[in-house]
Amino acid sequence: MAVVTPGGVDAAGVATTAAPATSPATPIAGRRWDRAVILFLGPTALLMLIFLIYPTLYTIALSFNRGRRGEFTEWVGLQHYIGLLNDKSFINLSTFPPSGAIWNNVLWAIFYTGFVIFLGLVVAVLASRVRYESIIKAVVFLPMAIAATALAIIWNFVYAPDPNIGLLNAILDPFTSGSISWLGNPALVNAALIAAGIWGSVGFATVILSAALKSIPSEVLEAARTDGANERQIFFRIILPMVSLPISVLAVTLLVNVIKLFDLIYVLTNGGPGVSSRVIAFTMYNESIPGGQFGRGAAITVIMLLLLIPIMAFNIRRFRSSRVV
Amino acid sequence: MTRTLRFPAILLSAAFIAAACSGGGGGSSSAPAASEPGASASGGASGGPVTSGAAGEINVLSLWGGSEEEAFKKVLADFTAKTGWGVKYEADRQTYSTTLQSRITGGNPPDIAIIPGIGFLRRFAKDGSLKKISDLGVDASTLTQDYPEGFLAAGTVDGELYALPAKYNNKGTMWFRPDVYKAANVTAPKTWDEYKAMLETTKDKPGAMALGAKDDWNLTDWFESIYIRQSGVDAYDKLFSKDGDWSDPSVQKTVDTMLEVINDKYVVGGITAAVGRAWTDAIAQVFGPTPKAGTFYEGGFVGGIATGQTNKDLKIGETIDWYPFPTLGNTEDVTTFGGDVVGALTESEGAKAFVQYLITPEANKVWASTGAIVSPHKGVGTDAYPNDLVVREAQSLQSAAKIRYDGSDLLPAGIQGEQMGQALQRAIAGEKVDWADFQTRVKAAWDAE
Repeated sequence: MAVVTPGGVDAAGVATTAAPATSPATPIAGRRWDRAVILFLGPTALLMLIFLIYPTLYTIALSFNRGRRGEFTEWVGLQHYIGLLNDKSFINLSTFPPSGAIWNNVLWAIFYTGFVIFLGLVVAVLASRVRYESIIKAVVFLPMAIAATALAIIWNFVYAPDPNIGLLNAILDPFTSGSISWLGNPALVNAALIAAGIWGSVGFATVILSAALKSIPSEVLEAARTDGANERQIFFRIILPMVSLPISVLAVTLLVNVIKLFDLIYVLTNGGPGVSSRVIAFTMYNESIPGGQFGRGAAITVIMLLLLIPIMAFNIRRFRSSRVV
Repeated sequence: MTRTLRFPAILLSAAFIAAACSGGGGGSSSAPAASEPGASASGGASGGPVTSGAAGEINVLSLWGGSEEEAFKKVLADFTAKTGWGVKYEADRQTYSTTLQSRITGGNPPDIAIIPGIGFLRRFAKDGSLKKISDLGVDASTLTQDYPEGFLAAGTVDGELYALPAKYNNKGTMWFRPDVYKAANVTAPKTWDEYKAMLETTKDKPGAMALGAKDDWNLTDWFESIYIRQSGVDAYDKLFSKDGDWSDPSVQKTVDTMLEVINDKYVVGGITAAVGRAWTDAIAQVFGPTPKAGTFYEGGFVGGIATGQTNKDLKIGETIDWYPFPTLGNTEDVTTFGGDVVGALTESEGAKAFVQYLITPEANKVWASTGAIVSPHKGVGTDAYPNDLVVREAQSLQSAAKIRYDGSDLLPAGIQGEQMGQALQRAIAGEKVDWADFQTRVKAAWDAE
């Protein structure tokens, strides 16, 4: 948990197990570039080259091409990028609030990430105070064991507009006149989808944060209590700062999930009604596979990549500067 | 040193994510990074049985499941018995386009593929993936005697026939519950005005019409059925071709006509609920044990779903039946239809044998006898079908003066942004659709084909 000063980066880096294989964590003097180094790094580097670097460069090149069949057929320059920025279903800043796939991803990033961490923390903190903690955590964790597609199908039944099919409308039926069309109303659909996503991820956050809470030495808490701190102060002044690192790691993981979010949207709404629940990754699929516009799909992938770079930069910096949990 | 090497490390991590997300690349579809909500969404292709034959084996990829699959397997068994070719059958309903696309890109296409949309067909034909029917030992010019002209035209790209009609369904079928109509004392309407009067009468007994517009193709079918009857076949042909003009007033006129019946007054549960409702749930609203509405519009396949899955107690003529889509202005006997076509992706001997087998009346009779499909082959008489609903559907298609392929399936696949059905979802919710904007995007997609 020790936060290392900048001067100690290298020394701490050695202890960091999560550092990427190619990270320069271990200082390498010129003479140490011997066979052993090549032997250890070679296979990984080769796999990375084939499965990561080559596809990435291919995708970037394809984004400037018509890209029929996913092959290089005709150079089109920036046409796909310009087209996307003018595509109201991708990004529309002319209205307030804005709309479009990118904006929906922003909504997901804020509300999904925020609520998953908040609820995860609440469950982890409260559950740690009762005897049947493991049961609570198991129940909350259960949705994690469901494949995202199956999860989406479950929520399809929850959100169905007719009270005899839709669980939510069946519950609300006595209190409302007429049913609520959760997935059929552009004003509600994103909130409904995000809620389903949160349900599926809270368990993950709970488990991570619960482990982090357990790692707080009891002496620290006892010392605080001895000094007269109340539970509220202990939570905000001791616990929260001490789990801030796991929270930030969690946030990064969730943000990456948001940017590549696809299956929930595909199964629950297919981007509808209209185009109101599309997200970036869904648009990428939609343009590439059913639309056959692989060049445009590649351009969307590049935009996703650009959005991910700052998140990854933050993440790597975090990994390098300190140990996690 | 730490500084200089940091950037590559960032790039690598980012590259990892990007590679995990990119689907287009080298043929392999996406392999999601190992983490949680959002693992894979594969639809699962089901490997079918292999009928072994003396001559060899062909690969057939289709999107049919359930009764359609059972029926097609009977055809495949007959093919093996007659020609000696074995068949390895693969069906993938949910991710069909992904599977077919990646098999073509990966250099491992099936010999024979069932192709659902014509926009899709044009793409594979222009790619060179689909083989010309004339190169498969079939004289394409003789096929006009056996198949309806409107269907062959749909399989033709740049003057060359690339796919054969496999099965079709009338999309001019208005499904209803005779018992509900009887109780409300109405008869099957023939004209649009009579149709509206019927909706008015049945709207509280117990409800006028069910709609499941979450599946937006239900709305495109509504649009097409009205457009072809209101503006005529020639206008229809033009609208769904490269020369089409969606900013033409006839488009908005059709939408306005749609809104005369698709509105909160007649659709049970209201429009917003309908936009969130799956179309099969709408079928259940009409043909379930206790009907909530009397009428549901969709193609001829509704009959099979309603009697086979929704409610096995339905009795033809008493609790389920259909009448032709009401006439509007244009009095010509026209209808739209939906259908799948069969194309060959290799020129193997087995593929040739299959295509040659498929155009025989015998093959189509085997198929028709299952009741799962209506055969477009003119050599199949109405006596080949097992029940009255299908017989009448087949008759209506054969007797129609002109039939036209489902228009939304003719549009190019690569329209950027909002598609036709999605625009209609907004239209029925009361929004104004900018058809001139849609026209710009459709035109761009046509030009890019």
